[in-house]
Amino acid sequence: MSNAAPAITAPASTSPPPAPRPVRRLFFGLEDVFHEEVFFLILCVFIGIFSGLAVVCFRLAIDWMHLALLGPLPQTHSWRLFAVPAISGLVVAALVLHFFPAIRGSGVNQTKSALYIFNGYIPFRTAIGKFICAAIAIGSGQSLGPEDPSLQIGASIASALGRQLEISREKLRLMAPVGAAAGLAAAFNAPISAVLFVIEEVIGRWSAGILGSVVLAAVSSVVIVRSLLGSEPLFRIPITTFKRPSELIAYVVLGIAGGLASVAFAKSIGYLRPRLKALPRWTQYFQPAIAGLLVGLIGFLGFPQVMGAGYDSMDQAMHGQYAWKILAVLALLKIVATTLSFVSGTPGGMFAPALFVGAMLGGAVGDVERIFFTHLTGSTGTYVLVGMGVLFAGFLRAPMTSVFMVLEVSGNYEIIVPVIVANTFSYVVSRSLQGIPIFDLLTRQDGLILPSLEEDREETVLHVEDAMLPAPGTILSADDYVDANARRVQDSADTTFLVRMHPTGWNLITREQLQRMFREGKGELTLASVLPKQTLPSLYPDLSLDSALRYVNTYALIPVVNRADSRKLEGVVSRESVFRRYGGAQTVAGV
Amino acid sequence: MSWKLPRLVRRSATMILLVLTVAAAVAFAAVSHLVTRYTLNQQARGRKLYAVGLTAADSGHYDDAIAAFRAALTCDPTNSQYQLSLARALRDSNDPRRLDEAESYLIALWQRTPQDAAVNLALARVAAHRGSIEDATRYYHNAMYGVWNSDPDTNRNRARIELIQFLLKKGARAQADSELIALSTSLPPDPDEQLQAARLFEQAQDYGGALARYEEVIRIAPLNTEAMAEAGDTAYRSGNYETAQRFLRAAVNSNPEDLTSRQLLASADLILKANPFGGHISDAERNRRIDAAFAQAEERLTACAAHTGIDLKAAAPSAGNSPISPLPILQARWLAAKPDLDRLRSPAETDLPDAIMDVVFQIEQQTATVCGSPQGLDEALLLISQKREASSQ
Repeated sequence: MSNAAPAITAPASTSPPPAPRPVRRLFFGLEDVFHEEVFFLILCVFIGIFSGLAVVCFRLAIDWMHLALLGPLPQTHSWRLFAVPAISGLVVAALVLHFFPAIRGSGVNQTKSALYIFNGYIPFRTAIGKFICAAIAIGSGQSLGPEDPSLQIGASIASALGRQLEISREKLRLMAPVGAAAGLAAAFNAPISAVLFVIEEVIGRWSAGILGSVVLAAVSSVVIVRSLLGSEPLFRIPITTFKRPSELIAYVVLGIAGGLASVAFAKSIGYLRPRLKALPRWTQYFQPAIAGLLVGLIGFLGFPQVMGAGYDSMDQAMHGQYAWKILAVLALLKIVATTLSFVSGTPGGMFAPALFVGAMLGGAVGDVERIFFTHLTGSTGTYVLVGMGVLFAGFLRAPMTSVFMVLEVSGNYEIIVPVIVANTFSYVVSRSLQGIPIFDLLTRQDGLILPSLEEDREETVLHVEDAMLPAPGTILSADDYVDANARRVQDSADTTFLVRMHPTGWNLITREQLQRMFREGKGELTLASVLPKQTLPSLYPDLSLDSALRYVNTYALIPVVNRADSRKLEGVVSRESVFRRYGGAQTVAGV
Repeated sequence: MSWKLPRLVRRSATMILLVLTVAAAVAFAAVSHLVTRYTLNQQARGRKLYAVGLTAADSGHYDDAIAAFRAALTCDPTNSQYQLSLARALRDSNDPRRLDEAESYLIALWQRTPQDAAVNLALARVAAHRGSIEDATRYYHNAMYGVWNSDPDTNRNRARIELIQFLLKKGARAQADSELIALSTSLPPDPDEQLQAARLFEQAQDYGGALARYEEVIRIAPLNTEAMAEAGDTAYRSGNYETAQRFLRAAVNSNPEDLTSRQLLASADLILKANPFGGHISDAERNRRIDAAFAQAEERLTACAAHTGIDLKAAAPSAGNSPISPLPILQARWLAAKPDLDRLRSPAETDLPDAIMDVVFQIEQQTATVCGSPQGLDEALLLISQKREASSQ
């Protein structure tokens, strides 16, 4: 564990930290400057640039597809609404089955698989396939979003670049998440949320190096997108207000409703997806088409808002354009439409649909609450914004990202308290009713066992104090003479004794060693003069128990000291005590 | 991917960075070109949709206009003109739920160009729709002092006129008055604008200000019969009958078919002829008018009593008997004042004309309450009494 390092004094046997490796060969002289760490950070900027450019093209492609296939003016009751997604579904199915089999689904899991299973390898054709098929699918009106595909396109570009440059395997593994952050940041135009999502859901750990590389990639991709497409936000944010703390109850209700909707959404996908996948292969040619037909029929029957990513509709909901009944119906229909599109294997993301469902649900709940409690001051726009975060927290199970995403999209910190409260309730409700987060569920359905970062977060971590034994009764002093110390240990039942060194540090000595020294005539020497200078590593009680594993085979006892006073002994750990604690934990966990 | 970078490139960090920089620059240029072409294409599409929206908005089909403007904005999301037009269509669609969205567009525009008068005017109208005097006044003022693309003076005056109309509608007379004063100093010598301002003054019940504006219109356009008639009407309603007579006569002479002005002129003539307190008349003429008014008052009292079924003689008030109707009391007062008529000619009785006419005015006012609005000389006497009361206050 990285946080154990400062507490531990490295023993003599530990090899020195490896020097940063210079990149391959010198050519013009700059190589002296570019160690791999620095070079990797520079590479992240380029990953951000290339991912940003790819996402710009992807967005243009979706827009162009939408205009070409559905026309600029949405017209309900037009045959195009169901014919276009159905026919496009056939085309997408053929492309996926014959040319790009790895592009089904959202892309988040594929990126995670690349990190944990495939050493950072994502084929470049995945980026090409995802680009083409997702653009056709989303542009034709399938109820999917462009963010997850953007994430996968970014990851794929990064992986390809890393392979081209033959960087180390360790760095290559990180390339995919770095590219994912760049792609997601470009798609959302929100670098903080993208960084948090990738750290929270894909990489699962923080370090200065990882954070720096992900941030650099995300920021550079957002700069590219803004320089080419402008810095217009995804939504025009209305005036949002939060005046009275008592109104938090209204947001709690929204959080609970969002949690329930998230569970319904996740369960419907989790139930239908394996069943459709289990159908004969030939049916997979028609599944996206049938999904497109059904989604199109929803649009044809008067709800074209559910087609595509739905950002325009979210924008209108934010400005109170729909009555609460319409908002509720749209939330429900979007869950149905997205479930159909997603389980059919059509490539596309779930971020935008989750935001859509949350926005509509938030608006509906807010409006209903204000009918019964007229004193509530929050506008429809406020509830819509909070609702977006609620689904993000409950459905995608990314609580931190959900909070920052709402803040970053709205640029308004006044609603931070309602957002945190509602998201927390949504997350808790969703977690209690749906044990496995949606992304983990999907990977397990695909037969992959990836580390569940949510489970990691919730896992009970054993600490040194859990295996700590009481401080031994006899502690020798390095300033005392050997003969005096030998006399002190004579009646002790222990065979190994801790020696307190001067001015700080600890050492070990056995009864035999002491007696031998005495026999060799060193009785009038101090222990400090006869013991090796190298001191024993010490641990702190709050460190992870894993940190003790490095030393238990080398040293019979390891002192556990107080952080404020390293001479003060809190206890000791031994190999037996550590293993006994792990054994106990395993027994408790039933493993 | 089977293709690999050349070995020489892969082995040198400098070469790698060089190649990546060049590749990034080339890719950026290519995508930038693509975006530019796409944007131009979209802008052309947006212009077509915008034209469709404008046509729909002009013909009052706001739902179609909104859909077209929205589509135009998806083609060209940063176009201020589209945003402004969409905001206007949303505002004018008479759907209160759409005001929020309209305001949101306008606020976004305002944040970019706070000095833009058109945006401020649109925001002012949204605030006016909401009935917010404070916001509307602020945005109208911003519009007045903002930057107009064309004809700034006219547009500023129009914005102020709109603000005054809004303030009057909301009953904010004091604020409207101050805006009217500012307006009167900035109006150009344009008959239409002066006429519009005169009507606002009249709406604000500032008849003096209104007359000044009407006179300005007539000075600029001496044959403007509309201004003459309205000036006469204003003067008549403010009790300035001499002025009313002058304007109404001019209006009737210019347009003999103007029956309203003709009727008002007849009333004004009658009032001026019946008024014993009018200027430039002799004492003898004054006494004759008082005699005539006194006699008319009795006739009106008798007719009103008959109309309501009251026998004035039987209902005469006496000690311990207080009648329900005021008419017998008025008759008692009239009878008590009758002997005073003979003393009118005495130069020593300076208060007598007022005392007698007070009785007349009381009769006209009470009978108007009991029996409804009078006609002819009774109406004239009633109006004279109201003017006397107003001037004494």
